[in-house]
Amino acid sequence: MARRIFNVGVALIAAGYGLVTYAGTTEDLDTRPVPVYPVELKDDLSEQDYLGELPRVLTVSRLSQSLADAPSAVTVIDRATIRASGAVDIPELFRLVPGMYVGVNAGYVYNTNHAVSFHGMNTAYPGNMQVLINGRSVYTPLFGGVKWSELPIALMDIERIEITRGPNAASYGANAFAATVNILTSTPSETPANTVLATHGNGRNEAFYRHAGKAGDLAYRVTTGYRQDDGLDERNDFKRTRFANAQADYQLNLSNNFEFEFGLAEGARGEGNAQEDNTIFLPRTKQINNYYGLARWKHHLSETTDFQLQAYHSYDRSDDETTSVNLRPLIALISPILAASLVSDSIYINNEVITERTDIEAQHIFGLGASIRAVWGASVRQDTTYAPHYLGNKKTDKFDLQRLFGHVEWRPHTMWTVNSGAMLEHNDFTGTDISPRASLNFKPHPNHALRLGISSALRTPNYVEEKFDQKYAIATTLVAPFPRLVLQQVLADKGNVNPEQIISKELGYVGKLGSVQLDARIFSDEITDVIRFNERTDFTVPADVLLVNPTNVDTGLNSGSAKVEGLELQTNWKITSKTNVLLNHSHIRIRETHNGLERNFTKSMPVNTLSAMLTHDFNNGWDATLAYYQTSETTQLGDGDPVDLIRRTDVRLARKFNAGRWNGELSGVIENLFNDHYQEFADYNTLKRRARINVRLDF
Amino acid sequence: MLTTHYKINRFIKLLTSLAIALCLLVPSFAQAYTGITIVMSAPTESNLEFVEAFKAELMSTKSTHLRVKLIDLSEVEKLVVAENSELVIALGVKAMGVSSKLKVTTPVLGVFAPLPTFNSQLANSRRELGNFSAIVLDQPYSRRFSLIRTIMPEVKNLGMLLGPHSTEEMEDIRETGEDAQFNILQENIRQESELIPHLTTLLAVSDALMAVPDAMVYTRETVQPILLTSYRYQKPVFGFSQTYVKAGALAAVYSTSKQLAKQAAEIAIKSQQAPGVLPPPQAPKYFSVAVNYQVARSLNIQIADENSIHKKMLGLEKLSPDTLTVTLKSTP
Repeated sequence: MARRIFNVGVALIAAGYGLVTYAGTTEDLDTRPVPVYPVELKDDLSEQDYLGELPRVLTVSRLSQSLADAPSAVTVIDRATIRASGAVDIPELFRLVPGMYVGVNAGYVYNTNHAVSFHGMNTAYPGNMQVLINGRSVYTPLFGGVKWSELPIALMDIERIEITRGPNAASYGANAFAATVNILTSTPSETPANTVLATHGNGRNEAFYRHAGKAGDLAYRVTTGYRQDDGLDERNDFKRTRFANAQADYQLNLSNNFEFEFGLAEGARGEGNAQEDNTIFLPRTKQINNYYGLARWKHHLSETTDFQLQAYHSYDRSDDETTSVNLRPLIALISPILAASLVSDSIYINNEVITERTDIEAQHIFGLGASIRAVWGASVRQDTTYAPHYLGNKKTDKFDLQRLFGHVEWRPHTMWTVNSGAMLEHNDFTGTDISPRASLNFKPHPNHALRLGISSALRTPNYVEEKFDQKYAIATTLVAPFPRLVLQQVLADKGNVNPEQIISKELGYVGKLGSVQLDARIFSDEITDVIRFNERTDFTVPADVLLVNPTNVDTGLNSGSAKVEGLELQTNWKITSKTNVLLNHSHIRIRETHNGLERNFTKSMPVNTLSAMLTHDFNNGWDATLAYYQTSETTQLGDGDPVDLIRRTDVRLARKFNAGRWNGELSGVIENLFNDHYQEFADYNTLKRRARINVRLDF
Repeated sequence: MLTTHYKINRFIKLLTSLAIALCLLVPSFAQAYTGITIVMSAPTESNLEFVEAFKAELMSTKSTHLRVKLIDLSEVEKLVVAENSELVIALGVKAMGVSSKLKVTTPVLGVFAPLPTFNSQLANSRRELGNFSAIVLDQPYSRRFSLIRTIMPEVKNLGMLLGPHSTEEMEDIRETGEDAQFNILQENIRQESELIPHLTTLLAVSDALMAVPDAMVYTRETVQPILLTSYRYQKPVFGFSQTYVKAGALAAVYSTSKQLAKQAAEIAIKSQQAPGVLPPPQAPKYFSVAVNYQVARSLNIQIADENSIHKKMLGLEKLSPDTLTVTLKSTP
């Protein structure tokens, strides 16, 4: 410090001296020119670093409502939680969401791998949840639900998952019925240059490589991977998947941004288990492949106004062919003559399914004064489905949908927020409908908010409920009056099914009590026009066709009403900067309010679910997780069976290391530590202890 | 550090008074400038605004009749200034660099100049403090801390992402920050690839992030990852410029061209009689507050309007009048 004073002092004295010497040369009024050469700045800061224009990053379209102002309860699973959980499959993360049911399911045809649903009413293909990846809807139009293992995405690319608990049609469209899952990947500019990740464990091997880079105003990321999942013991449900995806951001100028995404996946799947079907869909290997492309233009108009245009196309194919066993012995039980007259021993089924989706959406977000923020937009979508076995014909069916939506957030006072919105939807199955919503948030203190809300949504029937004509038929050599065709009709949808409707009322609290973040709500959901399968009484066949199941032909129809009531609790307690506890609980009961529901409907949600996760950061790079999941007994719909109370404990231990430009982590996970052999979804899915080791390198 | 500043300040004041006294004693030695040449790097909006405001400021001061001449460096090949009778006000780093090559008898006052760059230009030129000064772009740390304290009184752990340049400031930042009751957490970036991993480490333990100018850390390219990542962690960023606030930082203190022009005019008038004794480089005296209310709303932070924050901060600055002092690096 003394030196600095000295220097300044010397400088000033020198300046004074300059004055004196200068006085002697006053006549010298020359105008010596100084060349204007480019000043070499090197790493020096310039005024541009302070005054230069910057791209608008957190524009209104990127900013979400704070949880205290939001009209619904939201669970956020961030990257740190994903990492701590040790999960390798996306649906496993939903065990941390109160109100969510997750069951591993090794189905036997058109498998979804995981049955995930919110507040019950779940088959293996739950259609009551909207699932989006970066704004792209991935639920399948045929059965509903998501084929989780086929998504061309790596867990390591996911930045966060936001789950809106409760209907949210006004923001996410008709199928945002019970809940909405929004999976968001990290932007390329946030991604390390190179990452290698490999996992090896019981029945599971996978490896991923990711590269991210920049070329001028273009930032990009490419991920590729291979996943080998042997599935459950004693089930033919192995999955081998190769996938690649790419994401690019191009900043054209300060107010225009383009985003592009591409992805593709392909692989083999084991399907078919003699336990459920020993005649038609026998154990076999099928091929799946899919791809998608998305482009988004974000146009920043002003501090409070953004415009966004998005278009995507996706293609999904499941190539499944099967040949039944010799059917003569079975038909001989009805009539030996008929059995002898069959033109072939067995039937061949082409269960190829191709679905495509094209969707274009425009959105305009704007502010009106300081207290109103609004978003409105419109979208058009076309789904096409080719499923000869399910739809009973070789045509590609088209399903068109148009939507108009709007949402307003109004803050008349710092303590009050009013949210209101609606969606108007027209589709080929159910015509035109409107789903409104409204909520009122009261914030007596920045750390405490109460929410009173009412929201409605509609669930459009899926193809299985509206348009299926699924049958097994085999010709005979006989002529009239004897049957020329033997037919088993599995499903013969009558069509004209109305949308299922939900009206959800809730009282919620979001707040912070010391170091505990708390989110609690009680709710009452009324569901009317429930879509279920029932016997079709008016099904007729021509006189020369023998229907082997005349009293067992099903159709989708509206029948019965229910009330789903309960509470959900979500806490995040940061005990110290190194120790954290997540605790989630739901208590839910389903009651039939109008006769006609499917058997087991009221048992389709476990009454209690509990999940807890303790994470601790030891010094020197070690950290550990202890997680506990408990699900009470339930009976899922569709292929589901009664399953008992489940208790599962997972542990994870990880060591981070840093060697120059190599950063990484080595970790080990044991799922179901105490090796309880429990069942999920159906009694054929037995879960056992599984361990994995995982290594990750960033460079 | 504040006390040391104060000491320097007193020392400088003493020397300044001494020098002024010397000039007054021997008035024939010192020739007051009769005009001002504003040299600007380019005709940018902020530069032109400065020129207008500066002229208006001089006009409103009846006691002086200084001519104002404007030179745009992007239009000339050689800078020609009537030396010995002019005060040069250089707008921007380039203008300041070129002007510093003028004869040392022509005093140069830089405006829109980052402090580290002024320091290095001072070190690399034949100039000395009395004939080379600046109103730097950097807001005093005490003022920046005061903004954070005013907006978010509950913030304890304040994260700083530092690069090769800003690391040199750390000693000052830490002392000023601790005086303002902050626990300063820092992560040093040596290469760009370290940015995101270090940022996430910092965000995990900080209540808010304070951006410190650095040519490696806070650039046009890094603004997106820094603001997006911080937002994901639901942590506000306090910027160092109005543009950073527009991009998505929660708030910043900054000075407008008009405010800098007012301060420059004050210096020009005051130094006219003693052109060789420009005051030492100083921080912006007048400032404004910028808040991104959209970001505040999304982060559930309740913020008063910009004017009342400004008023409250002015009140606090009156209590510590040393704000204008800037730290000079030792010149070789």
